[in-house]
Formats: sequence, C-alpha cells, structure tokens
Amino acid sequence: MMSKRVPFAPSLPRLSRPPAAALVCLGLFLLCCLLVPRFATYGNLENVLRVGAILCIVACGQAIVIILGGIEFSFGASAALASVVTVMVLPAVGPVAGLVAGAASVIGIGLVNGWLVGRMVLPPVIVTLGTLMMASGAASWLVGGLPLDAPPSAVFSWPARGRVLGVPVPILAAVLACTVLHVLLAHGRIGRLWYHVGANPLAARLAGLDAARITLLGYATAGAFCAVGAIILTSRVASGQPALAPNLPFETIAACAIGGLPLAGGRGHVLQVVFGVLIVAMLNNAVVLINLPVAWQLVLLGLAVLAAVGLQRDWAVLKRLAGRSR
Amino acid sequence: MTRLSDGSVRFLVAPASILAALALFGIAAPDFLTPDNGFSIASQIWVLALLAVGQMFAIAVRGFDISVGAVAALSGTLGVMAANALGLPALLLALPVGLACGTVNGWLVGHARFQPIVATLGTLLAVKGLALLVTGDGQAVPLTAGDTAGLAFDAVLGLPPLGWIALGCIAAAHVVLRHLVVGRRILMLGSNPEAVGLVGGRPARIEMSAYQLCGAFAGLAGALMAARAGAGLPTEGAGMELQSIAAAVIGGTALAGGRAQVWAVLAGASFVQVVLTGLNLSGVSPFFAQIAVGAVIIASGLMDTGLRFLLSGLSNPFQPKGTFR
Repeated sequence: MMSKRVPFAPSLPRLSRPPAAALVCLGLFLLCCLLVPRFATYGNLENVLRVGAILCIVACGQAIVIILGGIEFSFGASAALASVVTVMVLPAVGPVAGLVAGAASVIGIGLVNGWLVGRMVLPPVIVTLGTLMMASGAASWLVGGLPLDAPPSAVFSWPARGRVLGVPVPILAAVLACTVLHVLLAHGRIGRLWYHVGANPLAARLAGLDAARITLLGYATAGAFCAVGAIILTSRVASGQPALAPNLPFETIAACAIGGLPLAGGRGHVLQVVFGVLIVAMLNNAVVLINLPVAWQLVLLGLAVLAAVGLQRDWAVLKRLAGRSR
Repeated sequence: MTRLSDGSVRFLVAPASILAALALFGIAAPDFLTPDNGFSIASQIWVLALLAVGQMFAIAVRGFDISVGAVAALSGTLGVMAANALGLPALLLALPVGLACGTVNGWLVGHARFQPIVATLGTLLAVKGLALLVTGDGQAVPLTAGDTAGLAFDAVLGLPPLGWIALGCIAAAHVVLRHLVVGRRILMLGSNPEAVGLVGGRPARIEMSAYQLCGAFAGLAGALMAARAGAGLPTEGAGMELQSIAAAVIGGTALAGGRAQVWAVLAGASFVQVVLTGLNLSGVSPFFAQIAVGAVIIASGLMDTGLRFLLSGLSNPFQPKGTFR
C-alpha cells in the first residue's frame, strides 16, 4: 500500500547555487571558441545544439533511472529497434502511426526493464545489458542485418528537419523534455517517490512505498523519453538502422555523470543533465572540428567520466574536512 | 547433503543446464551430438572461458568489469603489433597490457572507491577508443610473425594446443582462488568486507588484485582471440563482456559476492557456447542467437536472485546487501 502523503523527501531537487558542471561547461565553451577553428559560427553552434538535443532527451530518461539508483544500457539498442519497427510498419500504416509503433516498442522495453529491476530485484546492469542484447538482436533479425530505407515523406522527416517559428524541432523537443523532467522531479509526486527509492530502497519499502511499482514507472518513463529521442533519430536517418546508436547509452550515462548526478542514486537536478549534455556535445563536436580521429571522442568521454566522478566525490570530502576544521 | 544445503547447489546449475541444452539441441539438430561438433565446441569455448574466469574475480568482490571485451580487443591488437615487430612469442605481451588495464580498474575501484560500474565504464570507453587509435580507425592488424592456425585449431589429445594452455591458466585460477591467500581473501571480501579488515587484510589491495586478475585474464583472452583469428581485431569483443558476465553468473558466482568456483564458471562458459553452437546448427539466424544470449543473461540474473531467495529462506528477497554500490 502506498501512503497518501510523503512527509519527508531526502533531497528535494533544489539548487542553492549553479551546479559545478555549469562552470565547466562555460569554460569549455570559451576554450572551444578560442582554440577550435569554425566552432563559434552560427551554423556549427546550431549543429551542436541539434545533436545535443537528441542526447539531452535520452539523457533525461537516463537521469530518472540513475536517480532510482539504477543504470540503463539498453537505450541505444531500443532506439535501433524503434527505427526498424517504424520503417517496417510505415508502408502499411503511414508515418505517424509508424513512429508511434516505434516509440511503443521502446516503452515496452522500458517496462520489461522496470519489471525485472523492480519486481524481480535483479541488478540493473544485468537486466539492461540483457535487454540491450535482445533488442539489438531483434532489430537485426527483423531486417536481416541490413538498413532498410524509408519512403520519403514530409511528415516523416518533420521531427528531425522541421522548424517551428524558426527553431529546429529537436531543440524544441529537448526544451520540452527538460521541462517535463523538471516538473516530474521537482513538483510531481512520482518524482519525489523516485528520490525516495533511489536514496534507500529498503527504507522506502519499510515506509510502505511500493518500490517495485515506482521503479517500474521510472523505467517506463525513461523509456518514453528515449522513445522521443528514437523518433527524432529515425526521422533524421530516414531508415531502419539495426545499429543506429551504439554509443547512446554510454553518452547519456557520461552526460549525467559529468553533469554531477551521483550514480549511487537519490539525488539529481535537471540542470545538471543539461550542462552534462552540453559538455559531451561540445567535446564530440570539437574532436571532429580539430580533425582528430573520431575514436578520440570515446577516449575523452571515458576520461571525462572518471575525472568528473572523482572530482565530485573528493569535492564533497574536501568540503566536509573544511567544515570540520572550522 | 550439508554441502548442498549450504549453497553449493548454485554450482550445479551450469552442468545441469549443459545437459538440458545438449538434450534439447540433440533433438533439434541431428548434427549436434557428434564427436566433430563436440571437438568444435571444445576448441571454441576458451576465449569466453578466460573472460568469464576473470569476470568471476570481479563479481566475487561484489563488482563488475564491463570493460573486459574492450581490454581483450586492445591487448590482442597490441600483442599482434608486438609479435610482428619482435617475433611470435611477443604475442604474450597481451597479458601485461590486460594486467595494466586491470590495475587501472582495480586502483579506481579499490583505492579511489569508484563504483565498479563507473570505473569500468570509463575504462571501457577509453580502451575502446585507444584500440581504434593504435590501429588507425579500426583496421584489423594481420599477424605476420607466424602461422598460429595449427596451434589454434589442430587437436593434440583432444584439444588444440592453445586450448590446453587456456585450460592450464584456468586451472591456475582455481589454485589462486581456492588455495592462495589472495584468492581466499577475495572470497572473504565478497562475503564480509568488515571481516577482512578485522583479520588484518587490506580491503583496497585485495579488491585491486581481483580486478588485476580480471584484466590479466582479459589480456590472455585477447592473445587467444588474436591467435585464432590470425589478426588483431580492435573492434572485436563488443558483447563479450555481456557473455562473460552471463557465463560467470550461470557458473554460480553470486552477484552478492563471496561465492565462486572456477570449474563451475568453466561450465557456465561451456553452456553459453553450447547454446550458440546449437542455435547455429539448428539453422537459426545469428541475430536470433543474439536474442537468446540476452535471454540467457537475464535468466542467469533470475537464477541468482532465485537461489539467494531459496537458500537463505528469506520471506523477503529485498536485502540491504546490494550488488550495485
């Protein structure tokens, strides 16, 4: 039974000061403007935002899972499955229903993950790596391993290429996704329950919360965010790609970690996600503009994750020590 | 019976699963239960078996190492490059490369107190990128120093020579885990971290050595992978980390730490290979086999939770002892 009132929230998502990632983000931006040729042009910055937008939407979903104390590796594979499903049903049902079908498959995988993590108490790593494998296998199996082109259609390409009042649709969608996430986390009942379960699942259960259901809802909502990202990705590549975004889970986890979400769960703010995403997007963009091999993106991402997590943890230790000595 | 009721039954799951899979595929594919196919499976399991035995050490201290696939790819590739420059025996330099990656993981987890998943995710990305960089964007590096096909495929006393070497390494892992202080301490750390400190052990160092063992075995797996393929494959090994976790967990390694048996992990790896080969011979698409491996991973997790639930006689499978720190 779930109690009607939640009297105590362990750490409400309030920020008394801007997250440290904001400063890093600003610094990196200035550095890129100075050192990277062609970085500070309108076209390139819009491109950074456009690519970052998809990452941001999916990272919003990743943030929910991380707040719940979990980790989600299946996003890339489920986005690939969504693109394949969309393009396969497209000729029969039309672009809108096709995209909805693709999105439904992502949410379905989120539900499976949530059920296994919440109800069956499996470690999130095992569950989401398993569904990653299954979704990726299913996507390849459906199309025989080869990409499947979508028939050209204005409606179908709108999510990636359309503009509303001159603003690209992906960027609008990202802003919308961040707003929804913020409302869920800071003002919604379910968001508060996610913080409870993430901070201490056992305590949440002893307090009478239905941790399994809350976890299930969290993974499903995360799936919904990923589904929006998958729609935009599918529309951008205009085809069903069984190997659509293999690094998507890594990049979203990295964005959350760099933004300052503790991977132990129970804490996090939407602004941290936004700044983390911007840092990752700028790094990736700068690597391409400097003409380094693309593999540097992976190396830098890995080092940035380790550096960010290490710094945040030791920052807290340093602050505590400083507080004691005073 | 006392041995079974104290939880050793978990190590019998993998052999039982192998028997079930053999029976199933024996019916589904007429070519499956033949000596030739038995030899084929016996010569194929070793890369996965080495990775799974390494993974076992990480899981035994309540961790994970999701970088093993990438580490195997990097160390195999660097091993091939060294062999091309210095002669065939230099392929074994893959081992120190894996050990170095394992040391980084171990330092991050043991001394710097990173969550295992964060530390190994960071090294996974960095190592994957490095493997691409040393080869100029993912080109396979052919092994020109000598022909290893004979070592990898021709049977001597029922196994190819490299299979015997791998088996020897796995036997050594058994000795390390069961009979050396470091192995006993690794199991102790997994089952009761406080106790290690109380008997004078250093938890950080023991945790680090578990990840070092894991990295060393990933390096060996990389060398074996390169010898089998006759080339260093910098992009190979994606997905191997998942299979290695599945094999280790089916082999009875408790995700909550502290319980592991090397021979059972070897059986777990054999089970995964039997399933893959069986599906292949049944004429199923390799993509469908990938779905099956995913299902096996989740089933291994369910088995672990189920065993913990049954053996501990808990009314409530929620335990404060988490596998995800």
